[in-house]
Amino acid sequence: MFVFFIRRLLGMIPTLLLISVVCFTVIKLQPGNFTDQYLEDPRFTKETVEAITRQLGLNDPAWLQYLKWLWGVVTRFDFGYSFANSRPVISMIGERLGWTVFIAALTLLATWIIAVPMGIYTAFNRHRAPAQIANFLGYLGLAVPDFLAALLLIALVLSLGGTNVGGLNSPDFIGAPWSAAKLLDLLNHLWIPVLAVALEGVASLMRQMRASTLDVLGQDYIRTARAKGLRGSVVVWRHAVRNAVNPIISLAGLSLPTLISGTIIISIVLNLPTIGPQLYEALINKDQYLALTLLMLSAFLLLVGNLLADLALAWADPRVRYS
Amino acid sequence: MKRGGSILLASLLLASAAAAAPKKVTGYDSLGITTGKPGGTYTLALGDSPQSFNYYGVIDNNLGLVAQQLFDGLVEYNYKTYKVEPALAESWTVTDGGKTYTFKLRQGVKWSDGQDFDADDVVFTYDQIIQNPEARAGDAASFIIGGQRVKFEKVDKYTVRATLAKPAPAFILQMRNFIMPKHKLLKYSVEGGAKSADINTAWGTNVDPSEVVGTGPFKLASYVAGQKVTLAKNANYWKVDAKNQKLPYLDRVEFLIIRDPQAQVAQFLAKNIDQLNISGAQFPDLKSREVAGAPFKVVRSVALFGSPPFLAFNFDAKDPALAKVFSDVRFRKAMQSAINRDRIIDQVYNGLAGPPGHGVAPANTAFYANTKAQLGSFSLQAAGAALDAMGLKDTDGDGIRNIARGKNLEFDLTYGTDSSVYPPMATILQNDLKQIGVKVNLKGILASRLLSTGQSGNWEAILHAFGDQPDPELRKPIWQPGGALYYWHRDLLPAKDGDTPNIKAMFPWEKQIYDIFDEASTATEQSRRKALYTRWQLIFAQNLPVIPIAKPENIGAISNNFGNYIYNLGVIPGYNPVPLIYQK
Repeated sequence: MFVFFIRRLLGMIPTLLLISVVCFTVIKLQPGNFTDQYLEDPRFTKETVEAITRQLGLNDPAWLQYLKWLWGVVTRFDFGYSFANSRPVISMIGERLGWTVFIAALTLLATWIIAVPMGIYTAFNRHRAPAQIANFLGYLGLAVPDFLAALLLIALVLSLGGTNVGGLNSPDFIGAPWSAAKLLDLLNHLWIPVLAVALEGVASLMRQMRASTLDVLGQDYIRTARAKGLRGSVVVWRHAVRNAVNPIISLAGLSLPTLISGTIIISIVLNLPTIGPQLYEALINKDQYLALTLLMLSAFLLLVGNLLADLALAWADPRVRYS
Repeated sequence: MKRGGSILLASLLLASAAAAAPKKVTGYDSLGITTGKPGGTYTLALGDSPQSFNYYGVIDNNLGLVAQQLFDGLVEYNYKTYKVEPALAESWTVTDGGKTYTFKLRQGVKWSDGQDFDADDVVFTYDQIIQNPEARAGDAASFIIGGQRVKFEKVDKYTVRATLAKPAPAFILQMRNFIMPKHKLLKYSVEGGAKSADINTAWGTNVDPSEVVGTGPFKLASYVAGQKVTLAKNANYWKVDAKNQKLPYLDRVEFLIIRDPQAQVAQFLAKNIDQLNISGAQFPDLKSREVAGAPFKVVRSVALFGSPPFLAFNFDAKDPALAKVFSDVRFRKAMQSAINRDRIIDQVYNGLAGPPGHGVAPANTAFYANTKAQLGSFSLQAAGAALDAMGLKDTDGDGIRNIARGKNLEFDLTYGTDSSVYPPMATILQNDLKQIGVKVNLKGILASRLLSTGQSGNWEAILHAFGDQPDPELRKPIWQPGGALYYWHRDLLPAKDGDTPNIKAMFPWEKQIYDIFDEASTATEQSRRKALYTRWQLIFAQNLPVIPIAKPENIGAISNNFGNYIYNLGVIPGYNPVPLIYQK
């Protein structure tokens, strides 16, 4: 097991290298330059373009830029500078990582807490009206994009006279020290993004859970369990769910990168201080090292998520063994 | 110099009254300005996080919005007339035939940390920062006049002299640049022993707020990444109101960082934001709420600043047949008759726009020449007849006119998709032109890429806009043929920036405009400059290097809790009415 873990970890290195090359190439292939966004300013001249291009090392051929970046990462753990902010990429990301992970984790958690029991319920009671209604609501959630749901929630709050229409806190509490009132204010703002994002994720996860539970329900060992007179709840949780949950665990691993990319649009609409909009801006403006580092972080999370899912699978299912 | 002279006289009178005179802000009764009372917090929206707190380190509109509350220039605009008047400089004289500017600085002005402001700061700012070609948001090019760098010298503690190689009457407008504190930024300058590019790294967004020191009405209090910038009143500010009360009235100004314009409106409606500039598209909803009793006002104002959209045709289009047609003024005039300006104003701007000027906003009383008659009127018949007269007829009966045998009159129209005005405008143009047998293919790109696309030459027709300014000299790179931003006729571009453009390739009317701008940039008499720019506007209107479409009005929404609101486009250095705003 330990050997497996180490081997997988080492296997990540070439994968990450390859991903970084691909990402960098794609960023470079995008038309336009970092300086394009400034052209309309009267202060901006050809000389300024040249000076900035030189300062940023954009005169070098692309492969050299990449190698310099890689060398910085390997030797100093330096992921380069953000062109726009003249600050190390790491500190820019660090500034927002906390809120990003917090919000994304919360929405993931909310999705799971709603979707998994609903999936199980709709599988066991698939012919009853509540299950049909749950299915319908799930599909509705899937069909409505999260940002639209967020806008609708904002409109609802506004029409009810509320003021918690975006952001994480009311203006007065932003930057204030933590207190019970601030926490309450945070919760009052947080339910909108959590609900909007979670609703979208619920349907697919619920269907997954439902399908794999249904698969399991037809199995002999469930019939056996029922036949030997076990209680309904034991059949459900110990026999059915335990076996049905495997694909869901793999799915969980894959959802780790959404910590970064899952909330881009909703963060813009709801004005959340997360990494999403930063990645968007960086890609649009060709802030290459910031964009590259964020994409790498996302790829890294995907690999780690997969690894964790595999480990979790081994823990949850005694039949799965790695050697 | 006449203008400078009269201002000088007025300021000298002021100066003789008191040595350490704060600037009294009066004379705006007609704008509804009254005496306010101190206190209150004013919350505004910021479209994104500022990228730095160093105004000269990065070109960033959001930084600019914050910076104009933190810093001042030597001169500033009058809120009403847009004329230049004293700010940190109490007076100035122009001598030596318009080549020497001597500024008397306002005495007793203090930086927000209590240090004295003096000539060292001014010379340092211009010499070490603005004229530093490595400063990413510096302005070195504007301070090379007559091929030489403008020289800034300290004469005494409160006198600064600028020496130009040749007269440049618009130079005084460049003196709106924000002055920076030498005692804080010296260590990032060449004079302080740093490399010239190091200035860009000063005052990053993770700076200690107390390091960011200015002379402006407010000072930086705190920044919460991605959420809020808070400014606190600068007790040392140098302006007073009509009753000698210290300005600004407000205790705090807060900027909430909100990217999405709809989210900004939602925050405004939720009373989390006190003032918001909105577009014509958002006007009906907000106005109807106001009429229904919502506690805010929606204010329309005829705009001087702001960007009027135009339709341009590429004189050097890759397709030589198209290039020939586009270069023909008869074609551009025909296209003008096919632009339904009234419909665009009505539908795209909800009626909140007016007829455009030609390079000068109609609200600009100092320079605008009435060119309304040259705008003509919308008539597809006339447009069709004009194209017929050019020989552009439909010869193969497919409903589209032909440029040559078997070749349709068909072109791409490049426009910005992420805008509320360009897409409907492009569609209206496409439909109307279709009726007269001209096929337009719409080509949407990001609005932020319009200029770089224009400059790449890789386009046929384009919808775009440049901001209007009070003085045409400030827009010379756009409107003077051969200028860096005159991208519809790129053949004229000089091989190297600053060289003489390709005059031989100019049309006669382009040569006339070229000469006008050259003469006006050194003519020192205001009446002469006005006459020159009037001729330019007429030539522009008759020859249509680009076809202006409409001049949008400025619309702002302001909470009823605040008084003394004057519309403020955004970042116009030297035009900051926020110190007058008070909480009722």
